[in-house]
Amino acid sequence: MHLPREGARAVSPRGKTVLADSSFWIVQILNSLQLSMLLFLLSVGLTVIFGLMNFVNLAHGSLYALGALIGYSIATATNSMWAAYLLAPIAVAAIGAVLYVLLIDRLRSAGPMKQVLVTFGLIFVFLDVQKYVWGTDQLGVTSGVPFAGSIVILGQIYPAYRLFIIAIGITVFVSLYLLLEYTRLGAEVRAGVDDPETASCLGVNVERTFFVVFLIGCALAGLAGVVAMPEFSAEAGMGVAILVPTLVVVVVGGLGSLKGALAGSLLIGTTLTFGTVFVPQFAGIIMYALLVGVLLIRPAGLFPARR
Amino acid sequence: MMANNAAFRHALALATIAALLLYWTQAGYFGMEILAEIAVFAILAMSLDLAAGYAGLVSLGHAALFGFGAYMYALFTVLWGWPASLAMVLATLSTGVIALIIGAVVTRVQGVFFIVITLAAGEMGYEFFFKNRALGGDDGLAGIPRLDLAAIGIDLNDSSVFALFLIAAAIGIYLLLLRLLASPYGAVLTGLHDNPGRLRALGLPVRAYQTSIFAFSGALAGFAGTLSAQHTQFITPDLLHWTTSGEVLVMVIVGGLGTLIGPVIGAAMLTLLRHELSNVTDYWGFWLGFFLILIVLGGKNGIVGWLSAGWDALRGAHTTELSTDDDAEKGEPSDAAR
Amino acid sequence: MLRAKNLCKAFGALQVTRDVSLEIPEGARHAIIGPNGAGKTTLFHLLAGELAPDAGSIWIDDRDITRLPPNRRARLGLSRSFQKNNLFQRQSVRDNLLLADIAARGYGTRFWPRLATRRDAHRKAETIADKIGLSDDMGRGVAELSYGAQRQLEVGLALMAEPKVLLLDEPTSGMSPRETARMQRLIDDLPRSLTVIMIEHDMDLVFAHADRITVLNYGQILMQGTPEEVRGSDVVQETYLGGEVQ
Repeated sequence: MHLPREGARAVSPRGKTVLADSSFWIVQILNSLQLSMLLFLLSVGLTVIFGLMNFVNLAHGSLYALGALIGYSIATATNSMWAAYLLAPIAVAAIGAVLYVLLIDRLRSAGPMKQVLVTFGLIFVFLDVQKYVWGTDQLGVTSGVPFAGSIVILGQIYPAYRLFIIAIGITVFVSLYLLLEYTRLGAEVRAGVDDPETASCLGVNVERTFFVVFLIGCALAGLAGVVAMPEFSAEAGMGVAILVPTLVVVVVGGLGSLKGALAGSLLIGTTLTFGTVFVPQFAGIIMYALLVGVLLIRPAGLFPARR
Repeated sequence: MMANNAAFRHALALATIAALLLYWTQAGYFGMEILAEIAVFAILAMSLDLAAGYAGLVSLGHAALFGFGAYMYALFTVLWGWPASLAMVLATLSTGVIALIIGAVVTRVQGVFFIVITLAAGEMGYEFFFKNRALGGDDGLAGIPRLDLAAIGIDLNDSSVFALFLIAAAIGIYLLLLRLLASPYGAVLTGLHDNPGRLRALGLPVRAYQTSIFAFSGALAGFAGTLSAQHTQFITPDLLHWTTSGEVLVMVIVGGLGTLIGPVIGAAMLTLLRHELSNVTDYWGFWLGFFLILIVLGGKNGIVGWLSAGWDALRGAHTTELSTDDDAEKGEPSDAAR
Repeated sequence: MLRAKNLCKAFGALQVTRDVSLEIPEGARHAIIGPNGAGKTTLFHLLAGELAPDAGSIWIDDRDITRLPPNRRARLGLSRSFQKNNLFQRQSVRDNLLLADIAARGYGTRFWPRLATRRDAHRKAETIADKIGLSDDMGRGVAELSYGAQRQLEVGLALMAEPKVLLLDEPTSGMSPRETARMQRLIDDLPRSLTVIMIEHDMDLVFAHADRITVLNYGQILMQGTPEEVRGSDVVQETYLGGEVQ
């Protein structure tokens, strides 16, 4: 998995064994939070779409990669990362809109297998398109990145940019929470996830709601990509690497709920980070074991919106 | 209805086998390599069709079982020095056991969750072998021996003999699966795809059957893996990669899900296509995905579906319509009853 | 005999089954009637095991089957037909009936012998097909059948299992008078050793066949009794029999 991860050190610079060293824990916990926030940005769109319309978009990871790559192009063209942060998600949402009109709308009633197959095919298509446009090398932006350098947090030196990623994640969570609880769109989404037939009977334009939610989901995936890019570089294969953990988050967290996406992200992000540090060969297997464990106890995930 | 087309599919199977054998008589060295590859993937594709097309269990990680079988064979022969025949049997069985364990867990969930988890499981498998230095890591394992049939005068190190051996294996598997599908177990499989709830209500322990077919399909995929390892005599973790799973899936879909001969045709087509297109473009993946999308959106069930519909249309033009008395009541509940 | 004690089931805030108790002896012909939404099909789901009750228990003879999944209950002799056709859509009539036999008698683990050579299964399928009037349609696909014929097959599948307790959920719904008459004859011909519980809206059928009737309303038992008692009950007249019978 080409996921962002820290190099592990068995012994901290101060000579204590790692487990007793509080700076080790602080760093890894912050790393977990940062990975969790990226996973959250990706999984929240996927889970609401999944819960709302029973539609699974396996190409969601590809949108993440597109966000990073398009962000890279914008940043190098305009010399401004902030322009990239703003425009890349919009670009990805636009691509999502095209996908929706061409393919996804047609597949809505087609049943899960066709949806899976077509979006799986899209992964291949996107991968090669990305290779064609941006090549196969890792691409990174080194100048003009905000929050460069390190700051001291909880007595520990830590890259400021990663804290920025965590901050973005929290901001998005709060914004989505407010959106869901206090706006009309949010009410329509909650109604649609809970019971689409009744919602439709009550006048909710479920079609339009879904389209808007889908666009937001795509934008968030793009945002995750462009935000991750300065720290972790962009390359064509990054979409699939992040797809599996994202899917695991959606399944573990439970379909359709914000809470589930957050809980799942934290759980998987922490597992992967600590797993990679302690038992790098088995980190993926531990994640899978966690997935299995949760499913055995709660087949619908931890916090599904609809039981 | 499937029953009407059984004869058609048998004819198609005979034609496919004949084509493969004919190709074999003409093939040079490179042709033999392609034939061998077709045969191996035909078996893998049939195993996926059994799970996905017949029992309705779509696995996006089937290549992981394929690769696992290959790696087990390599482990037993190269690292532990066991005889090839024993290694083949044990590699196949151990893959079946892994598939049984995965199946027992995964059949607890339905539909999309199931598909997603098979994808995750496949990726876990790839990662494990990628990171495992003992089995070569991403450098792979070389020096894998082929089965030794010298005792009966067959030299499998001759590529044309080996290609024929693999084709024979594929034909054997096809016949075996045909027999399986004609049995009560086979009937249950199709019923599982169609309406598992009713089977449960009628007394069938559905999950047990789904697990068993997943295990059997996995074992078969593992068997294909042992053959693949013997063919290339060098394996890498790429065998388990999701792109390989994707290719097998496309073979099944392109050929025709749930037709058994379809996947064989799909395997042949896709292997030939990949070899041709790889010379022309670096972007085989793009075309693979594109084909998959087109075929799925196209409506008919792959090549066999298209050919079968064409055949029906040809026949339909020559048979007279059978009229029935209850045509008047067709499909609508009668008003009088309510 | 089938016994249910104090069954309760709720979906969220909605109490669908309230404290339902039944005692149905062997060979009985029992009908469950009530307006739409009374919880009749839910009761069947609870009896057959598709749903787990929140409270209460279910017994077949002396056996507590409350925790058993549907397939285990089926193997103990409980068989049901569904209100909405629940057939093997992609298969022929013959294959549907054979599948029912395989599931009920548990020989689905046989993977070598050809199904075509199982004479006993084929003979049974032909017998049942004759009873449900589909002898000429054995080779036809389910999708080609008329709705009434599909309903017949729906009951036929349940019969293939040679059950001890048969739950029929609105067997004649959507049928023409001719088809309803055929279904009536079929029910008449069922062996007396078989316990039959029927959900029905067709009152003629109910009063012709049932020896006892349970009336449900809002998930509760309104009254239980013989057909005469039910017909004569004021309460039942008001809530159900009087006015539009659906």
